[in-house]
Amino acid sequence: MARLIRTEKEVEGRYEEVWLVVEEDPLTQWPAGPLSVVGRPAERKDAPERVRGEARFTADVRLPGMLHAAVLRSPHAHARVERIDLAPALALPGVRAAIGPGEASGLEEEAGYAGAAVAAVAADTFAQARAAVAAIDVEWEALEAMLDPDEAVRRGLFTAEPRRDERGDVERALAEADAVVEATYRTQSVLHNAMETHQAVCEWVGDTLHVYISTQFIWGVRQEIADALGLPQDKVRVVCEFMGGGFGSKNSPDEYTFVAAELAKRTGRPVRCALTRPEEHTSAGNRNPTIQRLRAGARSDGTIVALDGEFTNAVGWSGWNAPTEGPMRMLYACDNVRTVTYGAQVNTPPMKAFRAPGFVEGTFGLECLIDELAAKLDVDPLELRRLNYADSNEGTPFSSKNLEECYRRAAPHWERRHEVRARSDGPWKHGVGMASQIWYGGGGPPSYAWVRIGSDGRATVITAMQDIGTGTRTAMAQIAAEELRLPLDRVDVVLGDSARGPYASISAGSSTTPSMGPAVRAAAADAREQIEDIAEQRGLPRDAPVEEVVDLLEDAQILGRGARGPNPTGMSVLTFGVHVVEVAVDVETGEVVVERVAAIHDVGRIVNPLGASSQVEGGIIQGVGHTLSEQRLLDPATGRVLTTSLDAYRMPTIADVPEILCEFVDRPDEHLTNLGSKGLGEPPIVPVAAAIANAIRDATGADVRELPISREEMLRALEAARRKERRGAPAAV
Amino acid sequence: MELLRPSSVEELDGGVFLHGGTEVVPLVREGLLRADRLVDVRGVVPRGVDGAVIGAGTTLGQLEVEPAIPDALREACRLAASPQLRNMSSVGGNLLQSTRCWYWRLGYPCRLHGGDICHAREGEHREHAILANGFCASAHPSDVAAALVSLGSRLRTTRRELAVEELYRLPDESDRRTMTLENGELILELELAPVEASVYLKAMDRKRWSFPQVGVAAARLSDGTVRLALAGVAPIPWLLDGEAAPGEALDAATPLPRTEWKVPLARALVRRALAALG
Repeated sequence: MARLIRTEKEVEGRYEEVWLVVEEDPLTQWPAGPLSVVGRPAERKDAPERVRGEARFTADVRLPGMLHAAVLRSPHAHARVERIDLAPALALPGVRAAIGPGEASGLEEEAGYAGAAVAAVAADTFAQARAAVAAIDVEWEALEAMLDPDEAVRRGLFTAEPRRDERGDVERALAEADAVVEATYRTQSVLHNAMETHQAVCEWVGDTLHVYISTQFIWGVRQEIADALGLPQDKVRVVCEFMGGGFGSKNSPDEYTFVAAELAKRTGRPVRCALTRPEEHTSAGNRNPTIQRLRAGARSDGTIVALDGEFTNAVGWSGWNAPTEGPMRMLYACDNVRTVTYGAQVNTPPMKAFRAPGFVEGTFGLECLIDELAAKLDVDPLELRRLNYADSNEGTPFSSKNLEECYRRAAPHWERRHEVRARSDGPWKHGVGMASQIWYGGGGPPSYAWVRIGSDGRATVITAMQDIGTGTRTAMAQIAAEELRLPLDRVDVVLGDSARGPYASISAGSSTTPSMGPAVRAAAADAREQIEDIAEQRGLPRDAPVEEVVDLLEDAQILGRGARGPNPTGMSVLTFGVHVVEVAVDVETGEVVVERVAAIHDVGRIVNPLGASSQVEGGIIQGVGHTLSEQRLLDPATGRVLTTSLDAYRMPTIADVPEILCEFVDRPDEHLTNLGSKGLGEPPIVPVAAAIANAIRDATGADVRELPISREEMLRALEAARRKERRGAPAAV
Repeated sequence: MELLRPSSVEELDGGVFLHGGTEVVPLVREGLLRADRLVDVRGVVPRGVDGAVIGAGTTLGQLEVEPAIPDALREACRLAASPQLRNMSSVGGNLLQSTRCWYWRLGYPCRLHGGDICHAREGEHREHAILANGFCASAHPSDVAAALVSLGSRLRTTRRELAVEELYRLPDESDRRTMTLENGELILELELAPVEASVYLKAMDRKRWSFPQVGVAAARLSDGTVRLALAGVAPIPWLLDGEAAPGEALDAATPLPRTEWKVPLARALVRRALAALG
């Protein structure tokens, strides 16, 4: 029965109170551990299509008569368009339409960053559109550009009100502590760099707008476009069958979609608007830089008594104030915690959610600080973490938490540090570091799925969700196959089209599996119950094989429907884990090699161990880039992005990938849905930077407090450690 | 734009020369190189290794597996770019590549582009020069050039013969070029000097597919001379002064605030390269 509830909805650590109609979730969970299909490694159902190049991504969409759009972007970090003349662009060959500020959502007169969209052109070819954009005549009024986040905070320039929280009395606890550590950590801006750039193809079919888009949220795009264009939602059809990655940057439609829609309307033809790689680096979002001024105090017995953090997110021209303070508030049992988080508005490209926004940055600061505290207390870092284990989330019970089990399984990897350190030879110093993981990932309602079974005994799962490349298509098929007692190859999944299925969750905040999986299972269970009823009427056992029961259906079909039930009330649904990292550092040249990462994660039931380990490997590789080599650099004079190419912006190559060992606790969360699964998209990147930095300290005694740990930062930290040692203070090993 | 495919040196008549295309095509696409006429010189430039002579059209991919060439050159090729790029790019073209300075690549009106300031000196310069950087702080990106300079190699062009280091010049107020090659002059062959031992060491931001932050090539020629040449430290491949003791050769460095880290790095690599020569 449907039920109206008032509940907290969480996405990427942002909570809002909403009214939701939810359906009961009466199914009991499957027993823990591998089942027939669920919990067993399954190869991706769409692997052959992908490998053969048959999978159609948005980048592959070519409609008859399609035009190509290019976008004029501000060269100034802060400026206003005084005058704009589109006529020179319209006069060029192949040009079909041009629009300026105010003529499509996202094209604005005031440019708040270098790269902000101002105008756009549609032409027969992309080259013609690009040439036409260059011909647009603009007069700019330059405005003052604010690039320094600390100065923005001093002047009160925020994208949202500062967020302040305090429990206990931090100043008193610090004054009474036996040991206090204080340090400033800084993280850089990194770019999502999904393989497929942000793009959309828009086509008007009668009064309906068809939108082919590379997106993480088909239904969010549908609503935002309907709102912006004043259309009923059913007059917007959104299609995304295959998707080349998003990492949080493709949760909403953005200017390229609105440009394509408007130009399609004006020309009566389909229009494609695809960002180039340089535009991707200037205008498609980023992980915002942070400055974290942190203090921690502890008693000599290792009890952490105070945590204090001032966090500045350099948000950019727009964006939200990510929960960088989250790990400090949630990871450890500590009575006195005070945090303030500033979202500084600066004239740099706007942030967008990037794989555990805030928590990646905040975990780097916190988990390095904890190791500095362990060194000062002379307590083993793993022991210190166990000593301060949190049994509740600021008083709210966890729906499940197996971090202690993660620590237990991490211990053998941690024990290796003695033999690893002993490998140090000449300039190469070896060491081991660890860091804990905390993040959301419980998903939530609403989400729906249908299951259709015909007389051939094959099942089709139908839901208008997206598979953003994580393999959820396969996981959903596994869940349906398990519930229907069918082999995996007898289940198909139809997804990726708002016109061909019910509402489905956003694929962000590690929520796809925990949001969609229970709906798919409920739909399959609905179909199974109908089949069992038919079996009974045919004199067959209720659990007779599906194909035996349905073979006389002819044109009749079994249709199951299912909905995602509510999250447990009064409970905190979170994911946990720990990474143990081994590094080698060449102390003469500053080279850092990450040699081995052992990752143990607690995310409830694992649906597909193969897909899950892919997520962990991908998160670790992306984390290695974030930690060691990636940085978006700006020209300090103009605020323009300098690293606009994949040559200047350095992501890890396959040669940079460490040995990765991946383990899952794999215990269903007994309070969470009929599945007991949490999400895994984000957790594996969360502890990477801190674990690497802690391993570097273990190897060299150098405190690396700034990302990326390039050779420049490594050599600086080594020199600082040598100076500290010469002054008589022992290096922190 | 027209594309010509001559089959002999005699047919050459102006235009922008194109071999593997890994450098020229991006520069043309970005508008940094104006070319009304592209000349595909693959039919003109020799390729392959014959004793001490290397055809300028030989790809880096061929050289990295060629046992007859000295270690420094082979290693410089192996550590350059990616396998795909090395399979396309010619050794002659590699010597002619432009700096990776982001200001230059993004078309800022810098001194190399004829302007009157070096944006990198005042701006973001973490991977720029530590030597000869007063006028222009760009860093030369070619591993192969540093290796060939250390090896005492010579070039034969359509017009002359010269030492590899003579291919380069520091830009100045009156002449912004970093190369001495004239318009229409084409590199045809390289000639290696006899060498006893050689080595190339390279520091990158990641393990592969990166231009050198610092590259150090060292060679002991058969007459006993030791030559050291560096990539990524000056606007051109940098031959260290043979008179100074190797340990002091970098004392003359004039790093910028954010290139100071390159000095101890270069010193360490020089020390290791000399040790490796034995």
